[in-house]
Amino acid sequence: MATDTDRQQPETGPAHVAPAPGVAPPGSVLRWALREQRRSLLLWSLAVAVVSGIYASFFDVMDPSEMDALIGSMPEGLVAALGYDQLGSAAGFLESTVYGLLGPILLLVFGITFAARTLAGGEEDGSLELELTSAVSRRRVVLERYAVLVVQLVVVVAALSIVVVALVVAIDMDVALSGLFAGGLGLFLLVLALSSLTFAAGAATGRRVIGLVVGAGVAVVGYVANALAPLLDDGRWLEAISPFAWYLDGDPLVEGIDVVGFGALALVAVVSLGVAVTTFDRRDLGV
Amino acid sequence: MTTAADAGVVIRAEGLVKDYGDTRALDGLDLTIRRGEVFGFLGPNGSGKSTTIRILLDQLRPTAGRAEVLGHVPAAGGPALRARIGYLPGELAMDGRATSQQLLEHLVRLRGGAGLARLPELAERFGLDTSRSIRTLSKGNRQKVGVIQAFMHRPELLILDEPTSGLDPLLQREFLTLVREAQADGATVFMSSHVLSEVEIVAERVAIIRQGRIVDLDDVQTLRRHAGQHVSFTFEGHVDAGVFRALAGVEDLEVEVADGTTTLTCVLRGEPDALLKAAAPNRALRWSAHDRELEDLFLDHYRVPAAELRADEEVSGDGH
Repeated sequence: MATDTDRQQPETGPAHVAPAPGVAPPGSVLRWALREQRRSLLLWSLAVAVVSGIYASFFDVMDPSEMDALIGSMPEGLVAALGYDQLGSAAGFLESTVYGLLGPILLLVFGITFAARTLAGGEEDGSLELELTSAVSRRRVVLERYAVLVVQLVVVVAALSIVVVALVVAIDMDVALSGLFAGGLGLFLLVLALSSLTFAAGAATGRRVIGLVVGAGVAVVGYVANALAPLLDDGRWLEAISPFAWYLDGDPLVEGIDVVGFGALALVAVVSLGVAVTTFDRRDLGV
Repeated sequence: MTTAADAGVVIRAEGLVKDYGDTRALDGLDLTIRRGEVFGFLGPNGSGKSTTIRILLDQLRPTAGRAEVLGHVPAAGGPALRARIGYLPGELAMDGRATSQQLLEHLVRLRGGAGLARLPELAERFGLDTSRSIRTLSKGNRQKVGVIQAFMHRPELLILDEPTSGLDPLLQREFLTLVREAQADGATVFMSSHVLSEVEIVAERVAIIRQGRIVDLDDVQTLRRHAGQHVSFTFEGHVDAGVFRALAGVEDLEVEVADGTTTLTCVLRGEPDALLKAAAPNRALRWSAHDRELEDLFLDHYRVPAAELRADEEVSGDGH
């Protein structure tokens, strides 16, 4: 870029400098961060699809009368806590296994660890320093790395949904596709909300571990609160504060989208993102 | 105090203070770096070098004082300002399956495409195999990637934190050539080190930082004069060392008496006249005088308490 004619004008600035110093075009951080996640995303999608497929297909080999006998032998409170009172129906079965337990656990591990690593982790181990000192704003780094979280959760939930839909059709389970869509959306929003909390805690503090503790802590407390609520006389308030209750209490696979519950999950995600952007923009990085 | 007077100033720090909790990392640092110069920034680990540098790149925000880079406050300059800077971090961390070619291309994209054309040339000069995955690279090879990404887009300001750490001597020379080329093209280079010999070859001016303050700032020639000489005399018989000890400019006098001779060694700053006249009445058997390394001066600053240094006008010179 430095030509000999440029070199003759030292007064106007260094000759070797490109005419218009370039800043990063939108998406450059997203593209790189997604590329770094390729292999991990593929493996998680496969794992979630396989495990969901195996569990969903148990419904076919399950003998309803044996199942009822088993449930009848369990304490009523335990049955309610596990959400097994609906186990006899296809929707109830999927809601308490794939959508209520395995899906959330696998996706939360994936989402929370990524959310803690992508910003706070990279800042902590210094691997983000070249990116953050390049011609890209902090705000863009936060938004594009968050977008990578969203894209990945969409992909993994889609992998789960495709397998479940295929099995529902193949073994003729009595679940509406709209119910499966609502279940998938709810699962996505649950994991997005808790991953966003993780992301925001990491963005605000620059500590990966704090992100992990916040995200995993809220997930565990929320799960326990939702499980305990039916056992207590005065348990309604536990459901009111549990993200799991916001997701599952409206029986999405049967009743469809629960606007209030899902809305609450989406709100947590949006507020968390706002906190992440503003705190990360204001503080010292890499200290 | 902007505009014309500042046209030639690339980095300006005024009373820069940075606290981490109760720890004061920078304690009123002042610095002015002019366009086109190669400036050495010296101090041991923990003296505030990296803190200063990371303020210039808006990774840290000062507690008090003001920093300006290319006429902009770092936080306000944002991406457009950083596009004009090439930065090599002091602790370069990179990981991942990607090859260094892919990482460098990513960094090119983050600079709006600037630097792609120069990648092959730089990789060849530093002997970097860009097809290897980053995670398999040695510390030295990672440092090569760091140097290449700092220079590739021909920035008008290079901020290099401990640039030669991890590079073998041959590549250190290649690096210094690169610095001189950048300077010849009009770039300004601000480089830190904890070893003076690394920067004195290319730098015109050098600042020494200690406990978050600049304790010495001068051009390399003047610093060399301040560094003084090592002088040694061997006299016949007994010589009264007190006469020499009293001379102005004579420091660190040591006396060794053996085999009927007296050997005096000292550090001499300034003119040798008084010392020679004090020596003349005795019978001198041997003598030597050689310039001290700048490294020694650097070490002096870390031996003498900071308060004393600030009072010592002769050593701190007129640089600030």
